[in-house]
Amino acid sequence: MTETKKEDKAYRQLESNSLLQQIMFQYMLEGQQASEEKRLAWVTSGFPVEIPVAMGVGVSYPEQYGAVVGSQKVGPEVCGYAEEIGYSQELCSYARASIGSVEKPNASPMDGLPVPQALLACNNICGTVLRWYDAVSEQTGAPVFLLDTPPIEGEQPEHHKEYVRKGIDRLVDFLGTTFHTTLTEKRMREVADLSSRAIKLYNQSLAACKNRPSPLNCADRFLTMAPVVSMRGTDIIIDFYQTLLDEVNSRVKEGIGAIRDEKIRLLWDNIPPWHSIFRFFNGLAKRGVVFPADTYTHAWSGAIETDDLYGSVVSIYSNSYLNKGLEAKIDKMCQLIEDYDLDGFIMFSVRSCKRYSLGQLVSKEIVSERTGVPGVVIEGDMVDSRLYNEAQIQTRVDALLEMFL
Amino acid sequence: MTITTLQLCEGAILSYEGILEQSSAGLRQLLKAGEEVIGYIYPHTPLELILAHGLTPSLLRGLPGVSGGFEESLQTFACSYVRNLYSQRTNDQMPSIAGLIFPSNTCDSLHNLSDVWRFRFPDDVVFRLTYPATRHVKDGSIVRYLAKELQLLSDGIEESLDRPFLSENYQRAVSLVGQFREDAQYLYSARVAEPAVLSYTELCRLMRAFLTTPLPAVGLELHNTTSLVHNRIKKMALSSVVTSILKAFKTGHFSQIKKLKSSHRPRIAVAGGMVEPQAIANIITGVRGFIDSILILDLLSFGFKTAFTPPLDVEGDPFEEMAKSILSAPGEPTQEGLGHRMSYLEGLLGPLEVDGLMVFEQSFCDPDEFEAPSIERAASRQGVRTVRIPIDPELSDRSRIEVRIQSFLESFGKT
Repeated sequence: MTETKKEDKAYRQLESNSLLQQIMFQYMLEGQQASEEKRLAWVTSGFPVEIPVAMGVGVSYPEQYGAVVGSQKVGPEVCGYAEEIGYSQELCSYARASIGSVEKPNASPMDGLPVPQALLACNNICGTVLRWYDAVSEQTGAPVFLLDTPPIEGEQPEHHKEYVRKGIDRLVDFLGTTFHTTLTEKRMREVADLSSRAIKLYNQSLAACKNRPSPLNCADRFLTMAPVVSMRGTDIIIDFYQTLLDEVNSRVKEGIGAIRDEKIRLLWDNIPPWHSIFRFFNGLAKRGVVFPADTYTHAWSGAIETDDLYGSVVSIYSNSYLNKGLEAKIDKMCQLIEDYDLDGFIMFSVRSCKRYSLGQLVSKEIVSERTGVPGVVIEGDMVDSRLYNEAQIQTRVDALLEMFL
Repeated sequence: MTITTLQLCEGAILSYEGILEQSSAGLRQLLKAGEEVIGYIYPHTPLELILAHGLTPSLLRGLPGVSGGFEESLQTFACSYVRNLYSQRTNDQMPSIAGLIFPSNTCDSLHNLSDVWRFRFPDDVVFRLTYPATRHVKDGSIVRYLAKELQLLSDGIEESLDRPFLSENYQRAVSLVGQFREDAQYLYSARVAEPAVLSYTELCRLMRAFLTTPLPAVGLELHNTTSLVHNRIKKMALSSVVTSILKAFKTGHFSQIKKLKSSHRPRIAVAGGMVEPQAIANIITGVRGFIDSILILDLLSFGFKTAFTPPLDVEGDPFEEMAKSILSAPGEPTQEGLGHRMSYLEGLLGPLEVDGLMVFEQSFCDPDEFEAPSIERAASRQGVRTVRIPIDPELSDRSRIEVRIQSFLESFGKT
């Protein structure tokens, strides 16, 4: 009976999710332990985390915590704690959730993130991270290290490489001084290797979504990317990504899709609405809409593996998706639409994320022109559900879907 | 000469719209005379570089009276300044300029605006200058990086507009801009010692005029005013006080400031980022019962931070010197160093006898809105009252802003 009910659902759960939960639980425990041992750093998602990991520094990710706050549907409350101490509602909701949870940990999910001893920000994802971490630094007293990776257009110029490389050198010094630790080439190579293996395995799962039906939907990818974001460079996640890949391959082999009845294949652009992630994507799954690709999870594409280890770090972390211009984003979207044989796209205009979202109105037009497929822009927020109008979004998505009928 | 007559000496104080019109008229005259103008929108744009190419840099600002035009290309959560600039371009309210320089790595809205601009206005000549966000390191990397970016900008200008970088132009520019800054720094310091010596509105007008059309004649007007103020300060026996303030602003060490003698109260300072100093001056003068000499100092990007950018050493490598100057200017919330900025702010509040601090925030501006709570806390630690004022270039909420400011000022008692 239970099996039948499961089979009736439009969306198929991944078996690997149970392993994912175990790993994320372990990540949380490791963060707490590192904090108690005074060796915890908070890091931004685009930070070259392989370096602190290789130096024995534990890491926690406030962006991921923001996703937890969102998915537990307490964004308005936790963001509100930051607003109470003066941070505008117009600011990034990841930042507000983070600042709010530091202000009132006991009233926040999981009692907030473990207390950091350092804050490591890399602005390759946005300029907000510096100001956000500065604010948290005022709250916690933990020093901020900024790895500055200015946005680039086209090829990374030599002076940019030299500048970022100097930043890496200073990072190693900063971590050495703050945590009384050192970095060895051997350990760095081990960590980089583990990081690269995890990214490759994850990317193989993503690439499998080129198949029809797609073995993964958007929510699957957003959830399973958590370890590659937060535990890159550790061996524990290799097993998970191998298990996930096996399951994905098995689905492909057996012709099992992430959703029961795949009719329309769309591209997703931007961070998801964490507070409504299942409601949104599963709701569309019931109507035969699957998302075999998205611009967000496909950002994890770089593997550190050349002889020039640090040169590779400089290159990968400077050339992240969000650190390049609008042209590069448009190219990426067009490429994904072609490679994954997609019928259209939905762009989530996230009020919190100016770097990701400003420009979407232009890129929507150009992507449609170049690929010939339609798209729609919907607006809301990833954590703060006060800034998410479900009815309005539904109307816009319906208008897009009507074009496929 | 009494303070009252000094105030009257300034003559008719121009309204905000009047100042805008006057600076626009200067720019129009320039364009009519066939000068090629490069527009810029970020305060730390190297004027010397543009002038060295035989071009005239002109600060393009958010304007009141701009309605809509951005909606097809930008969302409403783009910062109000960015929306205003874009709408000006869409509505053909921008002057006819040869090119436009956008900053990068300062804030996400401005960075993405340049991308959108290029797509929407492909015939516009658009340059981008990328600034380092790292600030407080001593290994030379940030200067080298910015120097190279400046060189690339220079190459781009030459290539696009066929205007080479000429040493003699550069030397003249260094002298012109250096004199402007020296004068502006003196005026800022003099106003702290005795705010009535020059109205804030007049200081804003003079600075805006220069930033809109940095020509020798415009610089001379500022210089003449500075000479006049210098004499007034001398007659008031305040020269040593002004010198000590000027030194403190440059070094960040405020403990050596000589005892102030001004009896005007309250003494209000203004903090914020890229909000318009003129707009603030205009709002204050519109508040019943108060004159703008209550404003002793602004710490704004287009005001104090522009004025206190250090001069260039004309003997050194131009790009390196320009980079050093930009990177030694008072810190912006777009850069690292919140602690340094707050320490500077806290350091000056007591010695400059600041009674209240008005914190202006451009709506949807990340840097302004993140910095404001820290500014409030820093002021509070020094026992200085604050008020936060959200603002946009259109002054769309002007009545409410005035009421809020009036309430704040009245809390100190009337002058």
